[in-house]
Amino acid sequence: MNAVNPIISIQNVNKFFGTFQALSDVSLTVEAGQKVVVIGPSGSGKSTLLRTINQLEEISSGAIVVDGRDLGDPKNDINRVREEVGMVFQNFNLFRHKTVLENLTLAPIKLKKEPKLQADKRAMELLDKVGLVDKAGSYPVQLSGGQEQRVAIARALAMNPKIMLFDEPTSALDPEMIGEVLEVMVTLAREGMTMVVVTHEMGFAREVADSVVFMDEGKIVEIAPPNQFFDHPQHERTQKFLEQIL
Amino acid sequence: MREKKVVIEVGDGAAIPDPNDKGLFTAWRISFFGTLAIMAFLVINRPDPYLDILKYLPDGILITFKVTFASIALALVLGLIAGLGRISKNKFFNLAASTYIEVVRGIPLLVQLFYIYFALGHIVRVPDLVAAIIAMGFCYGAYMGEVFRAGINSIDDGQSEASLSLGFNRSQTMRYVILPQAWRTILPPVGNEFIALLKDTSLVSILAVSDILRRGREFASESFLYFETYTMIALVYLLITLILSKLLSNIENRLGHYERR
Repeated sequence: MNAVNPIISIQNVNKFFGTFQALSDVSLTVEAGQKVVVIGPSGSGKSTLLRTINQLEEISSGAIVVDGRDLGDPKNDINRVREEVGMVFQNFNLFRHKTVLENLTLAPIKLKKEPKLQADKRAMELLDKVGLVDKAGSYPVQLSGGQEQRVAIARALAMNPKIMLFDEPTSALDPEMIGEVLEVMVTLAREGMTMVVVTHEMGFAREVADSVVFMDEGKIVEIAPPNQFFDHPQHERTQKFLEQIL
Repeated sequence: MREKKVVIEVGDGAAIPDPNDKGLFTAWRISFFGTLAIMAFLVINRPDPYLDILKYLPDGILITFKVTFASIALALVLGLIAGLGRISKNKFFNLAASTYIEVVRGIPLLVQLFYIYFALGHIVRVPDLVAAIIAMGFCYGAYMGEVFRAGINSIDDGQSEASLSLGFNRSQTMRYVILPQAWRTILPPVGNEFIALLKDTSLVSILAVSDILRRGREFASESFLYFETYTMIALVYLLITLILSKLLSNIENRLGHYERR
């Protein structure tokens, strides 16, 4: 928790989609164990920023270092970095041809060469953690959205990542299912996981975040601890955004 | 909402029966039992020549199946390579695959058969049967390439993103996540192509390969019973394709299990 070097270091990153600039001179550091919540209007670049951390989006310029590995250095195998960075998506993206248990064990068995028995055991522990032991043999199509997302979190955790990225994890859920997913995320945060979360759940941000990042038009406008951020936002655009959503 | 639903329509095979159609009178049943009835009627009422024709054909049926299975196996391999090439980010691989598909699709199958058969003859001496299989497989591989491409593209991008985010590389993602799912989208058109290919193997009768049609032609040219012979040949082909389409329908039905609630 007291790491001197940041586990994620994003320096002056620019990202273009054609002529559209999605990220503009973005810099952000995340310490090990820190929880960072990124908020902002849609199209502000917050998801793009998150996706650059495990290189689902390649950056146009700048530098990103994750756990000491420079993503721009071709000698670093991006796949090994990704093993350490779990990701949870808005649309869950569970493997639809695999059971819940197989969703959790596929990567540990194939990538970490874990014996099946050991992978199964670990998967059942994780399913217990997200409260879905009884769904181990089900296919994703048989689950509710909230259950799917909890499985997706467990699947990411099965690789024992050092960092967890959440890309609007509750945005595709029916309102009554949001709570069960946030609950799992809060537990994870309490256990000391390093988390970067893009979300519209301000309650979660207030409760869990060490710092809140506000983005607009591809730029980071403001970074502050949640109390200061929500009660005394410094920038006009932050104030306007908070007025609209709170 | 979460999954792109794509039905690939390739309409040159026999119609694959709809497993949900539980009616007593379906097109498949009428055709199948009608074919059987007509064959039985002809063979029983006029064993000479119909039974003689039927007895003359089994060797040809075997050859037709040999050519079909070997060609489809070759076509599946070439199709997978071509399909992966078409979606590859590697410019050379992509262009090579696209060109192969473009060229093959632009030339009539019969012309290709002649061409590959005689071109091969210039380079190596291969048996007629092998030349026919290579030609058919080469041609159908191009069509199969498009089927594979469409099937792979039908899988939501989120699936490969999830796989990549776990640490799988692109080829592992293809192998463990995309292809096992794409297979379900790919199977119906592949089945169609299989049946279409079986019918198209009748073209190899021109290349001195003794398939059903060639056996029939031999019988007809000796007996001069052209009408009777071709009636029987048509019925045999129809019976085979009807049985195959039913089999494929059953396989498809079983493969859809994890989509059902």
